[in-house]
Amino acid sequence: MTRTLVFMGFILFLFTAVVAFSNTEPGTDELERLDTSAFEKPQRPGAVFGHDDHNEMAGIEDCDVCHHVYDGKNRVEGESSEDSPCSECHSLKANPENLISLSVAYHKRCRNCHFETNKGPVLCGECHIK
Amino acid sequence: MPKETTTEDVPIVKQKNTDEAVEAGLARLTPERIKTTINQVLENETGPKFKAYVETCMHCGLCAEACLYFLSNDRDPSYSPAGKVKQTIWEMLEKKGDVSTDFLRRAVHIAHTECNVCKRCSMYCPFGIDIAYLMLMVRRICHKLEITPLYIQDTVNSHSATMNQMWVKEDEWIDTLQWQEEDAREEFENLRIPLDKVGADIMYSVIAPEPKFQAGLIYQAATIMHAAGIDWTMPSSPGWDNSNMAMFTGDNEISGRIARAFYETAARLKVKRIVMGECGHAFRSIYDVGNRWVGWAMPPFEVVHAIEFYHQLLTSGRITIADKYKKTVTLHDPCNVSRGRGLHDMAREVTNMVCDSFIEMTPNREHNYCCGAGGGVINCGPPYKGERMINNRVKAEQLKATGAEVLIAPCHNCHSGLEDIVHHYDLNMEVKFLGDIIFETMEKKIFNPGD
Amino acid sequence: MNAFIAFIMGPMVWIAFLIFILGLIFKLVVIIKDVNARESYVYSYLSVKYSLRSIFAWLIPFFPQSTRQSPVFYAISYIFHLLLFIVPVFLMSHIVLVNEAFQLSWFALDDTLADILTVIVVLALVFFAVRRQTVPEVKYLTSFNDYVLLIIVALPFITGFLAYHQFFFYRQMVIAHVISGELVLILIPFSKFSHMVMAPLTRAYMGSEFGNVRHAKDW
Ligand code: HEM
Ligand code: HEM
Ligand code: SF4
Ligand code: SF4
Ligand code: SF4
Repeated sequence: MTRTLVFMGFILFLFTAVVAFSNTEPGTDELERLDTSAFEKPQRPGAVFGHDDHNEMAGIEDCDVCHHVYDGKNRVEGESSEDSPCSECHSLKANPENLISLSVAYHKRCRNCHFETNKGPVLCGECHIK
Repeated sequence: MPKETTTEDVPIVKQKNTDEAVEAGLARLTPERIKTTINQVLENETGPKFKAYVETCMHCGLCAEACLYFLSNDRDPSYSPAGKVKQTIWEMLEKKGDVSTDFLRRAVHIAHTECNVCKRCSMYCPFGIDIAYLMLMVRRICHKLEITPLYIQDTVNSHSATMNQMWVKEDEWIDTLQWQEEDAREEFENLRIPLDKVGADIMYSVIAPEPKFQAGLIYQAATIMHAAGIDWTMPSSPGWDNSNMAMFTGDNEISGRIARAFYETAARLKVKRIVMGECGHAFRSIYDVGNRWVGWAMPPFEVVHAIEFYHQLLTSGRITIADKYKKTVTLHDPCNVSRGRGLHDMAREVTNMVCDSFIEMTPNREHNYCCGAGGGVINCGPPYKGERMINNRVKAEQLKATGAEVLIAPCHNCHSGLEDIVHHYDLNMEVKFLGDIIFETMEKKIFNPGD
Repeated sequence: MNAFIAFIMGPMVWIAFLIFILGLIFKLVVIIKDVNARESYVYSYLSVKYSLRSIFAWLIPFFPQSTRQSPVFYAISYIFHLLLFIVPVFLMSHIVLVNEAFQLSWFALDDTLADILTVIVVLALVFFAVRRQTVPEVKYLTSFNDYVLLIIVALPFITGFLAYHQFFFYRQMVIAHVISGELVLILIPFSKFSHMVMAPLTRAYMGSEFGNVRHAKDW
């Protein structure tokens, strides 16, 4: 009995593995995604993010919530940075000039808010949808 | 779907022998006594080591490959080291000591006749779990329940009453030594077996079967000592026997008494070191186990096994070989002095110094298979002999593969056990001690440092 | 729901790691106290030299006789144990989480490689289970609990794998993953997985007895 179960489990597992490796394009291209071109070798697809829909749903009006400007340790009130890519300040690796790396910046910006408001995706695959 | 077979469906139907002492003992037991005794031993006489061995075992079965019983019985899992623990200790723990007499009949059989406490399995378990220790713990329980097999219990009784294993009386002992001395004088005029010589360099000690059945070995030893010009002595009083069967029945109290009497004899004679004849388990008793029972981490005297002693005599030129032994020989590594003391390389050197053609048997050295007689198994006597032959088929195959004419077994237990094997499997080999061959090939002249 | 996830990916991770580490320390302390109280003779034999000699001998692949006699099993077990540590420690998703929490980061495996290694771990566990079914001497020793252990280790790998591929029930899968990962950590000190700290101890003792007293090798 147990032998059969183990065997069936094994087959099931192999099957899943085969499906997994062949299944690279689940047809989510149309989704609006963040641009990952700043990453050297992105491991995951860009996070799904519909800018206007998101902000409308979340009721965010001030751009500088995300597109902030820092001067050293202090946020510069009233200034925003919509015109420059995030990677201009947040380098790929954290460095003394900017302690927050690009991916951490994204993750913290999105996830922390989602945790605080108890709304929105917080797990890897909820944004990096395959 | 093929029919499922599980271990529950296929009980191992095999005749397991028993004897009067075991049966009479079992008949006396009550469930309460069984339970309290088992729990008393498992709770009070074990400690973190036992716990670690039981808890850490991953049930991986790798130790099976080590055990001659498993290999000789066509890989029957009930003979694997951990399998034997499962049938004994695990179940005692699981049932909290509430086990039946049928269970105990099986347990005493396993611990006393299906394990040589040879520790080969500890070298195959990736954790180094000491199965032999666990089997000895089962024997301890059997001892406390008074269901120890008849013949081996008799040797313990003898130890207890006479301080030797074979009911040898004091006058018998002294007579035998004097008789051997007299005989040996035909070879060497002035040969002595010095009794109780205080301050001698060496106390020579033997096991009780020597004076009882193999007095010729004492003769040989005396000749070698004399020829080598050794300042030696043998004790006339109890304490001369270095064997210790109580150590194999879990009768730790008597085991301690035996070891104490032995060391005290050596202390009384103020010798520098103890040299002993070719015996494995006796070596284990005075080198490894007995000393622990009387509170010494290592023996209070330098204990030298015959192999090492011969090696010293031959390399220092105290003994010279006239004409090397001609027949083809192979060497059995006794567990207790190879895996137990690392004398295997010396044994080979001695063999090569006295024999012309030595054929290695495999596996060898630390990895040798036990002769199947050790650990008190042969001492359980005739009721179990048939099984003992079946249980060491691998040894017979191993011996046969060497094709040697002579099998050297530098251990009493091995010697007797292997003689049985050779006979049972018609191997047509002569079994000899190293001492036999040295005696046969050495120059019978007295060592003179100037020569 | 996010609050629950915040809990299992935040404080609960702390709790799991604390139980894991303190549990192992506690276990060691109990053993040392027990040895001092009941078996202090152990120290008369224990030797650093011979303990390390034995442990190292057993760490070299295919050096001990035992490993040469069952090469397939040992090879798989060796790979399994290595990956058991390598995959979670060098997994990008794990490092990202640590990085966010502590600004620490280290070398990360490529996701695809990690994914393949995960499959290897699960296959190794399947091999162990099949071996328990088919090799008589192992089957004889096996009880239900031994399969439970295999399943418990397998869970974080299976759920992690399924989550990574986002096949189905993604959110539930990650939750299951995190909980099963924490379960493994918490169980290590209190189950047979504690062999992680017991193995060096039992090996050290046997190694010392063989080296010091028996003057023989134990591999
Ligand atoms: C202690 C808390 C843990 C947390 C918070 C955690 C978190 C995660 C996350 C977020 C992922 C990524 C899922 C995705 O890509 O969508 C993941 C993947 C994974 N984790 Fe964990 N994990 C934990 C413990 C463990 C443990 C203990 C193990 C192994 C023993 C483990 C093994 C894995 C594996 C094998 C994968 C996926 C590998 C693949 O790509 O196929 N995790 N984990
Ligand atoms: C440094 C740490 C560890 C060492 C030295 C170690 C060593 C061992 C050894 C010697 C075995 C026996 C059989 C074999 O050689 O595979 C074993 C089996 C096993 N170990 Fe470990 N282990 C360690 C850590 C772990 C951990 C952390 C886990 C799980 C969380 C684990 C899970 C297992 C399992 C499931 C088996 C049984 C395989 C079977 O069913 O046959 N080990 N380990
Ligand atoms: S000590 Fe020797 S006889 Fe006993 S189980 Fe281990 S290998 Fe077998
Ligand atoms: S090899 Fe060691 S851990 Fe494996 S079953 Fe045997 S005693 Fe247990
Ligand atoms: S009788 Fe010989 S082979 Fe057998 S256990 Fe003793 S020393 Fe080993």
